[in-house]
Amino acid sequence: MSSQSPKGKVAAPSDSEVLAKLESLAKKLVEQMESGVPPYLVIPVRTMANTIWDRKRKLLVLGPKTARREFFDIGESKRFMQTVLMLSLIVQARREGDYPTIRELYYRGKRTIKYTDERGNKASEETWDDQRESNAVIQDIEVATGLLREHMGVTHDAKGRIVGNMIIRSKGDEIDLSKMGSGAWGIPSFVDKIEILRVEADYVLVVEKGAVFEKLNEEEFWKKNNCILVTGKGQPDRSTRRMVRRLWEEFGLPVYILTDGDSYGFYIYSVYRSGSISLSYESERLATPEARFLGVSPSDIERYELQGFTIKATERDLKRAKELMNYPWFKESKRWMEELELFLEKKEKVEIEAFAKHGLKYLSSEYIPKKIKNKQWII
Amino acid sequence: MSEKFRGLSPAEFFHRNREIAGFSNPARALYQAVRELVENSLDATETHGILPFIDVEIRLHEERPEWVVLRVADNGIGIPLSEVPNVFGRVFYGSKYVVRQTRGVFGLGVKMAVLYAQMTTARPIYVKSSPINSRYVGEYLLYIDISRNIPHVQKMRIKKKTKNWHGTIVKLTLEGSWVQAKKRIEDYIRRTALISPYATIRYRSPDGELIFKRVSRELPQPPEIGKYHPRGVDVEVLKELIRATNNASEVTLLEFLVKHFEGVGEKKATEFLQWSGFSPDTKLTELKLADLEVLASKMKTFPGWRRPRPLTLSPLGADLLKKGVKSILKPEFVAAVTRPPSSYSGHAFIVEAAIAYGGEIPPQDTVMLLRFANKMPLLYDEGVDVSRKIIDSIDWSIYKVKLPAPVAVVTHVCSTKIPFKGVGKEAIADVPEVEHELEIAIRDVARRLRAYLSRMEKLYEVKRKEVTIRKYMGEVSSALAYIVNRDPEEINALIEELLKKELAKKEVRPDVVSES
Repeated sequence: MSSQSPKGKVAAPSDSEVLAKLESLAKKLVEQMESGVPPYLVIPVRTMANTIWDRKRKLLVLGPKTARREFFDIGESKRFMQTVLMLSLIVQARREGDYPTIRELYYRGKRTIKYTDERGNKASEETWDDQRESNAVIQDIEVATGLLREHMGVTHDAKGRIVGNMIIRSKGDEIDLSKMGSGAWGIPSFVDKIEILRVEADYVLVVEKGAVFEKLNEEEFWKKNNCILVTGKGQPDRSTRRMVRRLWEEFGLPVYILTDGDSYGFYIYSVYRSGSISLSYESERLATPEARFLGVSPSDIERYELQGFTIKATERDLKRAKELMNYPWFKESKRWMEELELFLEKKEKVEIEAFAKHGLKYLSSEYIPKKIKNKQWII
Repeated sequence: MSEKFRGLSPAEFFHRNREIAGFSNPARALYQAVRELVENSLDATETHGILPFIDVEIRLHEERPEWVVLRVADNGIGIPLSEVPNVFGRVFYGSKYVVRQTRGVFGLGVKMAVLYAQMTTARPIYVKSSPINSRYVGEYLLYIDISRNIPHVQKMRIKKKTKNWHGTIVKLTLEGSWVQAKKRIEDYIRRTALISPYATIRYRSPDGELIFKRVSRELPQPPEIGKYHPRGVDVEVLKELIRATNNASEVTLLEFLVKHFEGVGEKKATEFLQWSGFSPDTKLTELKLADLEVLASKMKTFPGWRRPRPLTLSPLGADLLKKGVKSILKPEFVAAVTRPPSSYSGHAFIVEAAIAYGGEIPPQDTVMLLRFANKMPLLYDEGVDVSRKIIDSIDWSIYKVKLPAPVAVVTHVCSTKIPFKGVGKEAIADVPEVEHELEIAIRDVARRLRAYLSRMEKLYEVKRKEVTIRKYMGEVSSALAYIVNRDPEEINALIEELLKKELAKKEVRPDVVSES
């Protein structure tokens, strides 16, 4: 994997490289068969057990464990079939210059196989039943080839948005992200195909909620505070995370994350910062290990006198918080452990919007700038 | 014999104690009567080299619904006409008082049925018989004179044979609860057919007709009449033998032992007499009761006797047993074994066992058990039978049987003296020697079942593998062919060839359904 991307350049491998990698996977299978070996794929294992916390780089990375997926192992043969089926669909899309969504790929490959079962009865089976199955083999192909699905031209429902003093080039068009009016630019699936021509900002502010992003954009927060404003609208998709990562990695901008003061918000921060377990194989490209948690933290409730504006934490919130305490990047942080313990003790959560108690502009004019200025973030 | 019950004839004694012979209530009595007649019929045929044809009929009496008319006909050797009244009308009269494996035990079963019929309906018994080498057919209506233990012939007709028929037909009218007994009786007939696969049995009842056709024309070796084994005697037997000896005052103890006992020659007898401290020249008449008691106990404990020979036994044999199990239980697999002869307290015995699996056997939570003793089905008291005890103590999972499973075990004990539990004669006691042999036999057939199930598992696995790979083969071939620009047929042929090799590695012969 790349260590340092050149500043702002297109970071994606070329289409011909991608195609060659995908084709070689299939070629290997045919070669195996021609030399008399039943076909098998070697796929790095994507389970928790093979996910390693890299302390130095503060990333979740995929461990060294691989599994052989043999077509002739009946426990694996369906998944094997699904993998080569998906591989052919992606190869076809690349050859024909299409950009299918993961949902489209699911439909393209879904069909009914008719067969005769061991008792001689006619039976039928779907190539895959639901999108979880087709998504899983896309991930398998990603780890087997070392390519991200974005490189393979597979899109998803990109929902991230960005606004601020920066100019990018996408498909030959230069776009000035400071000239969006009340709107913002939707971050596309293929962030690596974007050239970032210029960035003028002191930091990146990522907010969890779309509505808070709208509000801050409307109040011209990014202009007044010279920052790039990003939202992933809840649990961020891959392209939003990739965009944040590029701004941090290629332009050295500090990244601040603003979420609700609850387990879900803390987890979102954790995803931006270290990657999700199911996608650990790409955290190297997606995670921002130095992302700083700005708030809202459990201790803010007292600090900003938000008592009475809190919501009672549910059993799930508490369970989630306990799980978070086992994540190495939280475990290794004294501040985080204090906050999580406080959360478990008080059993109270709080939303960003609660600052409206102190006035509608309090969040943008007081809370955020002062917290950054006073270095009151947590990492 | 009769002086044993002073003032009470044997007929009277059994009349008063009929539950001893299993005639305790109308349902049990009907079942017992069917048994006695069917077993007599089987003894009259197979023991004499005749392939049995037995016709059982149960009708409800036209006027008295609580009465049942039971008719059993066979193609046996028949009864010498002069003997008919005594055979059916006199308790303790018959051909079973010898050392030989027979179904009945006292030879009084049929008389009990007659007594019971007489007591409950006051109807005489009808008997028609024609001996195999006789030119005559005799028909009788008779009673038992209970107080005198003699038959009382009401009617009798002797005719010249017109057809070449031999055999016996018996008809009884008795009080019997058909509804309560019918399940047991059908069960009994079915199991009798299983253990006598060389017999054809027709069974007609108010519920309709069942025919069990013979599946083999091969009869088991009939048992020979043997002598007592010295370890199996008691004072009564000694007294009986001495009484039956002509000029007992001339016969020495040595001669007596050699003449009357199984596996005892001059050398063995001398050895025993030395060991027990009896003089070989003692005349039989010189032995007092106390001497006989000592002699009997010494004979029981002498360690040097030869094992009893099994000539007196008639096991079915593994092949016939398998045929019987197959035809009645219709399983997908059956294995059977006949153990070598063994003995307990001087009685020879042989154990046979079969195991059946799948097919028409319904899955059950426990292993189904079919018990037989001397070719008689045992239907009652399964819970206390030694076979049940063994089956329940076995961990069936080691034989790949996961309960509930469609599995049945058949056990057959043949002996000159079956060690029954209690007077019911429906359960075998856990005599260590018998239990040991049964366990070996059951485990032996269970092991063969395991081998079969493993084979089936492998076969199924191979089949499943083939089906699974073939299911996805088309998709895999066309996907790969598209990516590498080849003809899908070519890729398919490649996979096909590899699959053939793969399956050949796991080849199992599928053609073994049961084993010899």
